[in-house]
Amino acid sequence: MMRKLSAWLSAYIAAIVFVFCAAAPASAAETEVVIGAIYPLSGQAAQVGVDARVAMETAVDIINNSYDLDLPLARTAGLPNLGGAKIRLVWADHQADPQKGRAEAERLITQDKVAALVGTYYSSVAAVVGQVADRYNVPFVVVDSSSPSLTRQGFKWLFRISPHDEMMSTAMFEFLKDLNATKHIDVRSVALFHEDTLFGTDSSNAQLKLATEAGIKVAADVKYRANSPSLTSEVETLKVANADVLMPTSYVNDAILLVKTMSELGYHPQAIIAQDAGYTEPSFLSAVGEMANGIISRGSFSLDLASKRPAVKIVNEMYKKRSGKDLTENTAKELMGLLVLADAIDRAGSTKNEAIRAALEKTDLPGDKTILPWRGVKFDATGQNILATPIMVQFIDGQWRTIWPFGVASHDVVWPMGGK
Amino acid sequence: MKLQGLSLGAAVLALVLAVPLGIRDPFFQNILILTVLYTALSQAWNLLGGYCGQVSLGQALFFGIGAYASTILFTRYGVSPLAGMMLGGLLAALVGLAVGWPCFRLRGHYFVIATIVVAETGYLLFLNWDWAGAATGILIPFKGESIVDFQFQTSKLPFYYGIVTIAAVLWVFSYWIARSKWGFYWRAVRGNPDAAESLGVRIFRYKMAAAAASAFFTGICGSFYAQYVSYIDPDSVLAFNQSVLISLPTVLGGIGTLWGPALGAVVLIPMSELVRAYLGGTGQGTDLIIYGALIVGVATLKPEGLCGLIADLCKRGKRAARQAAGEGA
Amino acid sequence: MSVESVAQVIASGLLMGLIYALIAAGLSLIFGLMDIVNFAHGEFLMTAMYLTFGLNLLLTLDPLALLPVVAALMFLLGVVIYRTVIRRAMQARTSVWMAQIFVTFGLAIMMRGLAQLIFTPEYRSIRHHWLSDRSVDLLGVYLSLPQLAAAGVCLLGFLGLYLLIARTDFGRALEATREDKEAVALVGINRDLIFALGWGIGGAAVGIAGVMLASFYYIYPGVGANFALVAFITVALGGFGSLGGALLGGIIIGLVEAITAMLVEPSLKSIGIYAVYMLVVLLRPRGLFGYL
Repeated sequence: MMRKLSAWLSAYIAAIVFVFCAAAPASAAETEVVIGAIYPLSGQAAQVGVDARVAMETAVDIINNSYDLDLPLARTAGLPNLGGAKIRLVWADHQADPQKGRAEAERLITQDKVAALVGTYYSSVAAVVGQVADRYNVPFVVVDSSSPSLTRQGFKWLFRISPHDEMMSTAMFEFLKDLNATKHIDVRSVALFHEDTLFGTDSSNAQLKLATEAGIKVAADVKYRANSPSLTSEVETLKVANADVLMPTSYVNDAILLVKTMSELGYHPQAIIAQDAGYTEPSFLSAVGEMANGIISRGSFSLDLASKRPAVKIVNEMYKKRSGKDLTENTAKELMGLLVLADAIDRAGSTKNEAIRAALEKTDLPGDKTILPWRGVKFDATGQNILATPIMVQFIDGQWRTIWPFGVASHDVVWPMGGK
Repeated sequence: MKLQGLSLGAAVLALVLAVPLGIRDPFFQNILILTVLYTALSQAWNLLGGYCGQVSLGQALFFGIGAYASTILFTRYGVSPLAGMMLGGLLAALVGLAVGWPCFRLRGHYFVIATIVVAETGYLLFLNWDWAGAATGILIPFKGESIVDFQFQTSKLPFYYGIVTIAAVLWVFSYWIARSKWGFYWRAVRGNPDAAESLGVRIFRYKMAAAAASAFFTGICGSFYAQYVSYIDPDSVLAFNQSVLISLPTVLGGIGTLWGPALGAVVLIPMSELVRAYLGGTGQGTDLIIYGALIVGVATLKPEGLCGLIADLCKRGKRAARQAAGEGA
Repeated sequence: MSVESVAQVIASGLLMGLIYALIAAGLSLIFGLMDIVNFAHGEFLMTAMYLTFGLNLLLTLDPLALLPVVAALMFLLGVVIYRTVIRRAMQARTSVWMAQIFVTFGLAIMMRGLAQLIFTPEYRSIRHHWLSDRSVDLLGVYLSLPQLAAAGVCLLGFLGLYLLIARTDFGRALEATREDKEAVALVGINRDLIFALGWGIGGAAVGIAGVMLASFYYIYPGVGANFALVAFITVALGGFGSLGGALLGGIIIGLVEAITAMLVEPSLKSIGIYAVYMLVVLLRPRGLFGYL
C-alpha cells in the first residue's frame, strides 16, 4: 500500500511539474480572436455560468457564421475587418470568489493572451477583475454585474453594457408614477424585501432613496439572510406591514421560498414588483407554477419584443436549440454583450488593446440592432452604457409581457395581481 | 537532531526563495503565493490545534479581522498596510483571547462547534456593519507601485517574498516554541488535560497563549491577503469555508508536526488551483469531484497525514539499509 | 404586533424546529455511537432530496410513497460510506477524530460535485404532490401542510428511534458499544457490524428528512449547507449522545430563530441561535442532556 501511495504521490508531483513546464503560453492563431469569459461554473450560482456559456456560444455562432439577422456581424462570417478572423471563447471558473476571479483573469491575460475579458455576474468578482484589467491594460466588458459602484471606481478599461441597479430602480418608481398619472392606480406604500449580500444591499439603498423622493411610504424594509431554511417570520413581518406593493430583491432559491411562503401564509399584496434576478429565471417559474401569475419585474428583455425586433425570435430559437430554455434577461444581455464587444474589435481592425478600447468608447449602436429593448449602446466617461433603458414586464398567462413604457407595451397592466 | 532540523529549514528556505526565478508566469506565481500563504495560515492553526490540541474551525474570524483592520486603516486613514498588518495581528490576538476565555471551558466537539459559532457571528456582524462596508466589501484602490503601500502594478514577486518572510518567521517561532517549555506544556494539555492539570500545569493560561499566538499570525496573513487581492468582503475572508481551508493543509500533512502544514499546502493548493483552472470551465463539477476524491483518498490511505507517510518511508529505508549492511557483513 | 402574528411566528418556529430535529436525528445517532462528526451530513440530506426528486420524476410516485424507498437507499449509502471510507479513516494511529473531520469534508465536496454532474446546478422543486403548497388556517394562523407532515414524521421518527434503542437487542448492543468500545468485543458483539448498522440507520434517518424537506424546499447541489450548521448546533445543544436532547435542541433553535427574525432583524436571526448555544454550553458544558 505504501508503495502504491508513493507511486501516486510521485505521479502527482510529476504531473504538477509537467503542467508548470507545458503551460508555455499557446499563441493564438492569427485567424482567431480570443476572448476570455469569467463566470461561476461551480458552486452556488453555477447555473448562471452554465447558461451564460450557452448564450455566448450562440453569439459566437452568430459572429463566426453568416445569418440574415439585423445584428452586428451577423451577415458576415467572422470579423470582416480582420480578414474574417473567428472569435474563440476561453472559459474560466471563479466560483464566486474574488481571489479566484483575480487569478483566472491573470491566467486568461498572460497564458491565453485574450484580446478582452467578459463577465462576471458577481459584482464583487467584477470589481477585482476590473482592477486586473486596469493593471494589464486589457478591455473588460461587464455584461451582467449590476452594482452601481462598479462604474464609479474610475476604472479605465471597464465598460458596462447593462443598466445598473439604480437605473433599474429608477425605472420602477417612474413606472409607479406613470401608473398614477394614466391609470389612476395610486401606490402609497411599498415594502422592501431584499437579501443581505451586495445585490440586495445596492438595490434596497436605491429603492429607499427613490421612495422617499417620490413621497411613497416604506412600510417595511426587511433585509433577510440569503439561503435561509425558512422565511416565515420575514413574510409575517411583511404581512403585518401590509404595504400596497412588495418590492423583493432575491436570487432564484430565495425567490422560490418567498413566493411559496407568501402563499402559505395567505399574504397577497396588490402587486409584486421584483428586481429581476431570481424572479424571471425559468427554474423559479417551474418551481412556483401559477403562483408566479401577475408578478411584475423590471427587465431588460422580453420575448414579446419579437414583434418590434424580428431578430429576437430567431436568436431565441438558436439559444433554445442548445439549452432547451428561452432566453432570459441575463442570457440576452450576455449574448448581446459579446456581439457589442466583437463589433468593437472589428471596428478597431486589430486586437491591440488601445485600439479596442478606442473602438468601445466610440460605440454607438442603435437599439434596433440589438435584441434588447434599449435605445442603444453608448458609453459615458465612466464606461456605463447610458442608453440601456429598462422596461417593466409582467408574467401573464404563462409568459412575460412588456407592460411599460406604455408606448411599447404589448399588454395592459394587470392590477391587482391574480392572488385569490 | 536540532541541527538537522534547522539545516533542513535553511535548505527549504533557499529553495523557496529561488523558485520564482524559474517561474515567471503570473498564474503560477499566484499558486506559489497561495501555497506559502496557506502554509503560514495552517502553521498558525497548528499552534493551537496541533500542538495544544484545541481544534478551531473558526480561524476565519482572525483572518477576517486582520484583513479588515489593515484595509480600513489604509483606505480610510492612509496608514501603511505594513503597520496595519501588525495592528491587525494584535487586534486578532486580542479577539483570540476574548473568544478563548469562554470557549476554553469547553471540550471536544462542544469546543469545535463553539469556534464555528463565534466565527459565524463575526461573519454576520460584518455582513451587516455599514461602517465596515457591509456586504459591499471594500475595494482597495491602486495608488501606484510602492513598498510602503504594499501595492505593485503587475509584479507578484514582492508579494511572494513578503509572504515567504511571514511564513519563515512563523516556522522559526514554531520550531522554537515546540522545543521550549511552552511547547512541552501544550503537548501535555493535548495529551491528557486532566493529568496535566493535576501536575500543576495551568491549562487555561497555556491555552490562552496558544490562542493569542495563533490568532496573531492568522491576522497578519489576513492583512496580507487583503492587500494581495485588493478587495475584501465578508464572503471571501470571514466565511466558514475559509476556516476549513486553513485547517486542511495541516490535517493532510500531519497534525502537531513542524513540516505538516507546508507538506499539506504544497499538495492541496496547487491541486485545487490547477484542477479548477483546467477542469473547472466545464461547469459540470468535475473539479469538485477530483478535489474531494483526492482528499478522501489521502485520508483513507494514510490517516496520519503525509508526515506519517514520510516517517514510514524513512523507517523502511533505514531497515533496508540495515539489512543491506547485515548482508554485507 | 397582533396576537395572530405572534402566534403565527411561534407556530412556524415550532414546525421548523421539529424539521431541524428530524434532520439532526441521524447525525445525533452517529455522533453518539462513535464520537464522529459527519461533515458530509448536509450532503447526505442533499442526496436524499435528489433521490426523492429523481424517483418522483421517474416513477411519478408521490414523495410520501417514496419514503421507504429513499430510506432504504440511504441506509445502503450509510453502510457503504462507513465500510469504504470511515472505517479506514478510523484506523489512524494519531488523532482519529481529525482524520474523520477531514475525510467527511472531502466526501462532502465530492458528493456536491457528483450532484452537479448528474443533476446540473439548476434549482429543482417537486411540484405536484398530495401536500403541495397547501396550508391549514387555524384561527388566522396558517400552517403549511408539507411542514406539518414533516413535523409529524419527525415525532414518529424519534419515537421509532427511541423504541429501537431502548427495546431491542440491537439497541442494547448499540448502547453497550457506545459506552465501552473495547469491552463489547469480549461479550461477543461485533463492533464493526454495529458501527455499520449505526451508519445505515443514521443514513435512513436523514433519508426520511430529505424526503420531507424535498416536498416543500428547493433542491440544488449546495442545499445541504443551508441546514448542516444548524444540524450540528441542534445536536450539540441537546448534548451529544442524547436523542431527546436533539429533539428539544431542534425545537429551541426553531423558536429562537423565528423570534429573533421577528423582533431583532431577519438577517441576524442566526445570531440568536448562536447566542443560545453559547449560553447553554457555558452553563452546561455537555449540552442539555449530553453525557459525552
